[in-house]
Amino acid sequence: MKGLVAFFCLYWSVWGSAATPVWFGDRAAPRVLFINSTLDMTSFQPLLERFVALYPDVRIGYVDVNTLELYYRTVSEVNRPTASLILSSAMDLQLKLVNDGFTQAYRSDETSRLAKRAKWRDEVFAFSYEPVVMMVNKNAFVGGQLPEDRQSLLSYIRQNDEQVAGRMGTYDIRTSGVGYLLASQDARQADATWGRLLEAFGSHGVKTYCCSSDIIDDVASGELLVGYNLLGSYAAQRANEDPNLEMIIPKDYTLMLMRTAVIPKHAANPQDAGRFLDFLLSDEGQTLMTSEELLYPIRPNLNDAHFAMPLGPTRTIRTVDLDQQLLVGRDLVKQRRFIRNWELALELSSDD
Amino acid sequence: MWRKLPQPTNALEHSLDYQHSPSLRGRFIVVGSFTIILIAALAIKLVFDYSERLADISYDRLLRSALLQMDENVGQEKGEITIDIPWSAFATLAQASEDRVFYKVESSSQGFITGYYDLDSTPALPVEQGSMQFFDRQYSGETLRFAWLERYMTEPDASGTVRIVLAHTRLSREEMAASVTQRAVELITLVALVSIVLLVIGSQLVLRPLHRIEKELEDRTPGDLTPLTLKTPRETYHLKMVINDFMKRLQTNLEELENYTGNAAHQLRTPIASLKALAENARDIGKPEEQHQALEKIIQQCEALSDTVSFLLNQALISHRLQSKALGLIDIVQPIQESCRAQALTAFRKGVMLSFETDIEEAVIVGDTMAIEQMMQNLIENAVRYSDLVSSGERKEVIIRITPLPNVYRVQVIDQGVGISDIDKQRVFERFYRGRYDIPGSGVGLSLVKDIASHHKADVVLSDTEPHGTTVTVDFPAFQYTGDHL
Repeated sequence: MKGLVAFFCLYWSVWGSAATPVWFGDRAAPRVLFINSTLDMTSFQPLLERFVALYPDVRIGYVDVNTLELYYRTVSEVNRPTASLILSSAMDLQLKLVNDGFTQAYRSDETSRLAKRAKWRDEVFAFSYEPVVMMVNKNAFVGGQLPEDRQSLLSYIRQNDEQVAGRMGTYDIRTSGVGYLLASQDARQADATWGRLLEAFGSHGVKTYCCSSDIIDDVASGELLVGYNLLGSYAAQRANEDPNLEMIIPKDYTLMLMRTAVIPKHAANPQDAGRFLDFLLSDEGQTLMTSEELLYPIRPNLNDAHFAMPLGPTRTIRTVDLDQQLLVGRDLVKQRRFIRNWELALELSSDD
Repeated sequence: MWRKLPQPTNALEHSLDYQHSPSLRGRFIVVGSFTIILIAALAIKLVFDYSERLADISYDRLLRSALLQMDENVGQEKGEITIDIPWSAFATLAQASEDRVFYKVESSSQGFITGYYDLDSTPALPVEQGSMQFFDRQYSGETLRFAWLERYMTEPDASGTVRIVLAHTRLSREEMAASVTQRAVELITLVALVSIVLLVIGSQLVLRPLHRIEKELEDRTPGDLTPLTLKTPRETYHLKMVINDFMKRLQTNLEELENYTGNAAHQLRTPIASLKALAENARDIGKPEEQHQALEKIIQQCEALSDTVSFLLNQALISHRLQSKALGLIDIVQPIQESCRAQALTAFRKGVMLSFETDIEEAVIVGDTMAIEQMMQNLIENAVRYSDLVSSGERKEVIIRITPLPNVYRVQVIDQGVGISDIDKQRVFERFYRGRYDIPGSGVGLSLVKDIASHHKADVVLSDTEPHGTTVTVDFPAFQYTGDHL
């Protein structure tokens, strides 16, 4: 039950600090579309700007929210949602919103064009892929081999005990929805490897973060040597800009998430929400994701020449299915047990 | 008698009559189509039920498998019942790709363990521990299919029961049922439509022979009464035969009529010619007494002519009656007695006694009362007439007798008149033959008797009465009561 209590505490804390929206478009536009999203502004701004240029009669209020907070906010606002479109990388929480009846269906030419695996019940739609990667600061590996999968990361940790102590970072699965999703998928894909990794993290004082960008910041600054389970689009952008950073796509297996969108059941402006979703899925929106080096588009035929398409044919890609299986990870008992084990392994729990 | 059928008065009435007549083909098509549609509707209903059951059976298996996987992972941890839901359980459920999933795990000792707290987990059917049940129930605005299981905890230090409910929406089931149903409904509809079309075409084909017979008859010249030789199917054979038989009867009637008319005209011509000669004679005679005598003769001749005409009319009436009216069961004692009574006075005036002798009350035959009466009248008149000729000294009597014999009722008219010579006996039944021209009569009386008798399948025999006179014997076959009649 402790994990649950932690969620609620968190939920109340973020409630008070609801971020003010960032505005796009004409101040005098007759209609307003509020979007609650977990996407960093740097990855999304060009898409928002393009949209308001195409539809000048819509003004967008964009609110950046953490994945878990976004879920609880949407649930609590079920009758009067502030946002008409919810974008999140936490697929499991998005799917749970749909399963539990918090969303409404939307159908258009664009959504019907979407592959069946990229949508569920016509209520949740994936608009971009997100490979899950590691990131290292090259300076720390001078003369050494960069780890290319989880096994080599483990052996690196074992060989450089003192060097890596307190200089690894990953998501805090208690505060980040997507962090929890990645951890639970790791545990599902390779339970033994995940256990050893967790043990290694715990014995070397891993640092936990709320967001990918914070971890990348710390890797870039040299405070961290390794960041584990980061979202690929952010990592690729930063690695392109910063010569010190190296993005590593694990060779043993690479998790592939989807960023998804849902429209809340009682959304104030479902028409414009649908229009924006159509824009994200349109050829223009998808192309923009590639050309502006923002995100990995969901429609594979547009993947041909990607800005940092790291996924060669030899990689084993484990795409997380957008279906009912995601509900298992969010089972109360399973979640509580998983977080408890995680806390124990990372020696974050005080009462044991 | 031969008469022309009444023509419909005008074309409008004719067409109204045609329109209001029930159509054989219409009836056939309506009843056939109705039956086909009924069967199709029944089949569709069956398919609907079946497809729904089929979908439920298939997807219940999925639900059962998922629930069993969950059940396997119920265990104990630090004295508490807990469950570690396997990913595979929900991977199974994901085969019902678009269906929302809800579940709840609870135990008798701890209450709610995990899942959806407000999911109604009361069983819908009588509980049997360890056995799964399925039912439909509303939740979250949709109808869900529930799998329900409750069992005793088997761990050594655990007590009480654990209950797992797993439910999902019915979307995939309905899709499956709909896809099964759609194909079947399409097929059934097609078959039904084709059947109805075949029915319409078939009804046309079936009725075609009738139209052919109709056309054949329509195209004939008015006098053509030859039989139909058209080749038609077995089913219309009877109709054809009936039509042919009818036409044959018509032909016979017509021929008879022609004969009769010819004979009658011929028979009337002779007395009219003699009447004319008598009249001319009377005109040319100078003496009043002789003239008076001649006029008396004319009057006599006229009376004879009048008798002839009324005989002819009677015969026409009777023969028409015999042709047109079906015979029934009648008693002949009563009408024969009536005839005697009716003739008694006329006979008495001529000095002839009629006596009616019989021991029986009733004699039942198959026949026609009016014809029998007419026959008796003719026979009695004849007998009286012949008795009249005998010299007046003797007592004159005509006896009418009915005697029951085995299978036969014998009717005899016995006179003591002058009798009939053996040569005449053979010819008196010929039409217009007159034994003796000194006796008034038309010559048709006995021929009518013969006609009536043969129509009743009765035999007529002439014999001599001793010492003189004639006996006419008519033997009517008695009606034999057998079970079949009635």
